[in-house]
Amino acid sequence: MSKSVTSVTEESAYGYGIPLFDTRVNLYQGGVLAVLLVSLVTVPVWAPPWAYLFALANIWAIFAASWDIISGHTNYISFGHSFISGAAAYTTALLTFNVNPDMAIYITFPLSVIVAVVAALVFALPSLRLSGPYFSLLTFVSVLVATKAVFIFSTYTNGEMGISTVSVLTFDTTMLFYYTLVPAVIITGALLYISRSNVGKVLKAIGQNEAAVEAAGLDTTRFKLWGFVYSAIPMGIGGALLAHFYGNVEPIAFLIVDRSIEIIAIAAVGGMGTILGPAGAAYLFLFLRDEVFKAFLGPNARWVAIWSVVLVLLVLSPQGVLKRLWTFLGNLGGDSS
Amino acid sequence: MTSADTPLEVENLRKEFGGLVAVDDLSFEVNSNEILGFIGPNGAGKSTVFNCIMGVLSPTDGSVYLHSDEITGQDTHETVNQGLARVSQESNPFEEMTVEDNIRIFAVSNSPFAFSSNDDEEVIRSLARRMGLEDELGTLPDSLPHAGRRRLEIAKALATEPDILLLDEPFAGMNQAEIRDLSEEIRGFRDEGITLVVVDHNMRGLMQLVDRVIVLNEGRKLADGTPEEVADDERVQSAYLAGEV
Repeated sequence: MSKSVTSVTEESAYGYGIPLFDTRVNLYQGGVLAVLLVSLVTVPVWAPPWAYLFALANIWAIFAASWDIISGHTNYISFGHSFISGAAAYTTALLTFNVNPDMAIYITFPLSVIVAVVAALVFALPSLRLSGPYFSLLTFVSVLVATKAVFIFSTYTNGEMGISTVSVLTFDTTMLFYYTLVPAVIITGALLYISRSNVGKVLKAIGQNEAAVEAAGLDTTRFKLWGFVYSAIPMGIGGALLAHFYGNVEPIAFLIVDRSIEIIAIAAVGGMGTILGPAGAAYLFLFLRDEVFKAFLGPNARWVAIWSVVLVLLVLSPQGVLKRLWTFLGNLGGDSS
Repeated sequence: MTSADTPLEVENLRKEFGGLVAVDDLSFEVNSNEILGFIGPNGAGKSTVFNCIMGVLSPTDGSVYLHSDEITGQDTHETVNQGLARVSQESNPFEEMTVEDNIRIFAVSNSPFAFSSNDDEEVIRSLARRMGLEDELGTLPDSLPHAGRRRLEIAKALATEPDILLLDEPFAGMNQAEIRDLSEEIRGFRDEGITLVVVDHNMRGLMQLVDRVIVLNEGRKLADGTPEEVADDERVQSAYLAGEV
């Protein structure tokens, strides 16, 4: 029997806890995961010039994993997640720009996360009762409305130029990397826990057959709503982090729909519904976009290159490249067990 | 209204689709702890009646009572949590989930904060044992034989801890031995205090199993009585092609 197929005995070995993965992690999977994690944690040591890029990727890993817990699980595809992170970033920015430039981060940060969750719910509450496409449309509209609002209320938002009164976390790129790595690891771990829990399984079941989940006596609307909250909280944290990462909050880097599409693309390449896949793909995506393609193709052509790569990867492996690699590693060694 | 003796009651139920009347002023009650056969030719409106009871469809008119509470048109999950479960005609498991997780979805509590529960593990294992699926817990539903998929559907419904179970064409596609086993299983449910409604399009498999039969034809109740009474009823015989009953 192949290792990727759990037998009953293996099943009962972890049956009373929350397994970290769908199946037992074999030697190859564990080894690759350990090497990648150690490499990530030591980026500032072995590649100091990349510390800034990987710090940014930490935040994008948060975004991709957060998107995945609702959309990757329930198949309610959100096109509006940059609206949630943008709401958090703009809350931080607006408070420092319009209220008090010295407002402490321990006040602005939690406030920003709360505003992000509330903003997310304003759009989620009416749309989660609707079926998939309407949900997608409404989330899409939320980004368009929010982007326009930034320009309409440019007296407060400073329009396209953005707000640069936000304090930068640190100018030490090594510290910046770890300030973003710690929340990324905690959030990915927490989302992985939810994903593997009963709640995560219900969300996945909703993605496969919502009517059957209703027949199980479960209030699917309530599960979707809380799934959205479990997604919005880390999106808010990521958005506020990003505000302090750049120190300047403007629509292009924080809000426009392109950012939402990037989150979806990253999650799809990583493997929807796996949490670790989308988080890992964020590093791959940003490394290709901001390092490899930027060096060879320049700041504009790199976009064509990265989207072409995404297209090819999705055609070759619709289930997600990282998920496929993970399964491949899981099948190595085969019948030897 | 229902009482302790009639936990499920349907009153003047009517369902129209456009100009078509699928269920026409139907009233019946289910007695506590009986096995009720609910039969009728294809297209008689059986599935529509049960879709209305379960809240999948909203009735055009009429009421449904469960344990004295009106449940007409309420969300399916509420009805299920009040003790009414249905095993639908077609097996529709979550194909990407193992047999274990398929049962789990029906066993977990209706709370987005209940991340894990050891009670569920016990329930899943005992139900799997009972339905002969204990060796299949780690496999995908796709690799189960037809009868196994049907048994999985029943295990899922039982995981919601129903006191009334609606079985929609449970014997479809089964051979004689499988029908016999499942009939035995259904009697076992009754012995544990579960009230059962078994829907079928003919009475052949039901005669030995049920205590009472309701015959539905063209959306109306045609007959109601013991299997023998109903089988002798001329109106019932003419509703079916000769020899079908």
